[in-house]
Amino acid sequence: MADFTAEVFQNEFLPDGGTDVHAIVRVTSTGASTATASSGTTDPGSAAEVILIDTSGSMGRRGVQAAGEAAKAALAEIVDGTLFSIVSGNGTAQIVYPYSHQGALVPMSGHTRGEANRAIEGLRANGGTAMGTWLTLARQIFETVPHVTKRHAILLTDGVNEGETPASLQAAVASCVGAFQCDCRGVGDQWRVDEVRGIASALLGTVDLIPAPEEMAAEFEAMMRASMSRGIANSELRVWVPQGAELLFVKQVSPTLEDLTSRRTVVNPLTGAYPTGAWSDESRDYHVAVRLPARTLGQEQLAARVQFSLGGDPVAQALVKAKWSNDDSLTTRIDPAVAAYTGQAELATVIQEGLAAKAAGQDDVATAKLGRAVQLADATGNDEMTTRLKKVVEIDDADTGTVRLKKSASKIDEMSLDTASTKTSRVRR
Amino acid sequence: MLASATPQTAPAGEESPLDVGWTGAVPSAAVAPVDDELTCHACGQGRIVDGYCDHCGTPPPNPRDHLVESPTSWVGGVCDIGRRHARNEDAMSLSAAEAPGSRAVLVVCDGVSMATDSHIASLAAAKAARAVLDQPFPKGAGTPDAWAAGAGRALTGAVARANEAVAAAVVEDVPNPPSCTFVAAVVEDDVIVAGNVGDSRVYWLPDAADEPARQLGRDDSFAQEQMAAGVPRQEAETGPHAHSITRWLGRDAPDDLTPHLTTLTATPGWLMVCSDGLWNYCSEAEALRTLLHDAAGRLEEPTPTAVAQALVDFANEQGGRDNITVALARLAGRGSSTTSEATASAAPVEGDPTDG
Repeated sequence: MADFTAEVFQNEFLPDGGTDVHAIVRVTSTGASTATASSGTTDPGSAAEVILIDTSGSMGRRGVQAAGEAAKAALAEIVDGTLFSIVSGNGTAQIVYPYSHQGALVPMSGHTRGEANRAIEGLRANGGTAMGTWLTLARQIFETVPHVTKRHAILLTDGVNEGETPASLQAAVASCVGAFQCDCRGVGDQWRVDEVRGIASALLGTVDLIPAPEEMAAEFEAMMRASMSRGIANSELRVWVPQGAELLFVKQVSPTLEDLTSRRTVVNPLTGAYPTGAWSDESRDYHVAVRLPARTLGQEQLAARVQFSLGGDPVAQALVKAKWSNDDSLTTRIDPAVAAYTGQAELATVIQEGLAAKAAGQDDVATAKLGRAVQLADATGNDEMTTRLKKVVEIDDADTGTVRLKKSASKIDEMSLDTASTKTSRVRR
Repeated sequence: MLASATPQTAPAGEESPLDVGWTGAVPSAAVAPVDDELTCHACGQGRIVDGYCDHCGTPPPNPRDHLVESPTSWVGGVCDIGRRHARNEDAMSLSAAEAPGSRAVLVVCDGVSMATDSHIASLAAAKAARAVLDQPFPKGAGTPDAWAAGAGRALTGAVARANEAVAAAVVEDVPNPPSCTFVAAVVEDDVIVAGNVGDSRVYWLPDAADEPARQLGRDDSFAQEQMAAGVPRQEAETGPHAHSITRWLGRDAPDDLTPHLTTLTATPGWLMVCSDGLWNYCSEAEALRTLLHDAAGRLEEPTPTAVAQALVDFANEQGGRDNITVALARLAGRGSSTTSEATASAAPVEGDPTDG
């Protein structure tokens, strides 16, 4: 049985007239992992996996072959009993396996894995890229098994969405929200990070760059293993704020940045729920910000009650408090976790804005934004991000954020900086 | 939570923080009555869950924030957090016999706010001192002087016990050990003995207009030192270091803790023991007498507790910048007002010539 804990990191003291309370809530699960592929089987119908493979013309023979190997590696990780399906996508989407007489999904077994592997051999590169149609087909596949709570897809693409309007892609993504989770991977340098990130973010998944086709198999294997280890579905974060308070935002800040604010569903007038996707044994941090009407000095108020709930039942909770004080030594302190994640969120924003400006030819804006990113990464000791930034800009002075755009920066380096921007380093306590 | 509080059984000074805060169910004048202890006092709509209202987020009132004691019809007091402090570091402990004027003990201690856990220390001190002063004074030879000497020794002993209680209130080696002031008044057969260390005060506020109202004893404060040097009271008590005290109880207390002692035979009037949370807003004894008479006049039943609450309300209306404690004894007196400076034989008593 899984156990969950929630801890809160905050400075609860507000100055006279202070209104805004910031807190980091860390939710940790233990015992949430299920059996891995090497041991045992899973209850048929408790989980479903769909693998979406790009077979557009740009993939070419070599790309499709590598994608096929990657799909096979993923299949090897799927625990027996798990329902699965393989979809090939170009301008439209087709189920590659199971065969049409078997339905949309079949339970994994030695036999079905073998059939699937053979079906993958027949994939050919051809046509355009309309990811909305792939996602729509995945949703329709999952809808055939409404009783399955844990639904996960892997999407692979190598190119820009075309052959459908951005609006129709957006509509397709919106129709899939809550229907399944989707981890997305882009291979090569011809896809758009913001486009694919939009899909992954909405569908509670990760986004990453696979530089070369040969690296796909290892990535798929790791992604599927991670999915298999997630034994808890149907979880959500619930945030209560008192009457008269305004919930400014709810963000996941670790392991990746994800603004959840707009994903609120109403539990009751004071409480909203935010989907968190499936969980394995892991820890995630959330940043909650609440604006309260100021109270008189000495008063105390519960600013937020943050609960982690499974199937609607709270299993862990953290209390975010506010105490008004005239003691400057208490009220001027910023909680280190709040400060660190606020800095990392700004870092992600300036990197993304800087790269977008660079792509749009606004070199002065890009220089300013990426300069600020260098400054932030340096100040917080984020060496990994500094290394990535160095591939895109020449750093003259990290302290002041003085940089020059690198003329020789490769597209892959920019994209890897972009995809890495939302990965945060966990604040230790 | 009210349910978790238990009657105090630990010896004075060894109470847990939960213990020392507990004074029984505390009725609060500022709050509407509610059906049960789980209904929110602040909004009346929510329920208390995990220590906070599930509608407005307000915690239930901390019993330590507002203490009321009414041991008999002629003695009562109120100890209140005020409006600006996060904690009530004032403390009060009262006792009295049924017969008016027969015997009463009123102790007030004001915890120093910059020190650790002064709210625990001050209450431990007040209770420890009261336990000493609850013992009847030795009659000695039966003369007023002998009584005064015995009373003086008892007060000096009470200060010593209170000082031990403050030192024992927290574990050793805290960087900023708790400390507090001390003031006590004992009534025995309409004779008053008062003693203080620090700037909490005893006032004698007689009914008769021709008898002067006055402070018994004097402050151990920077302001007092300035006044002794000729600075006017108003200026001294509002100066930059007006609230710095020169003597206090605690682990870092000065060696000489002999209280300023005064004895006085009561006429009809009010005996008041209070913290600076009140006198900050009304320091002159004559002004305080007028304030008290006005407050009592507005009350249908001017019991000591009701008058004390009215004076606490006054201080809160003025801003409530500090914790406020007012303890009162209503005395019918036994005739003439004769006073004498106490002389305790146990230790040389620092006299107060202006009170003599």
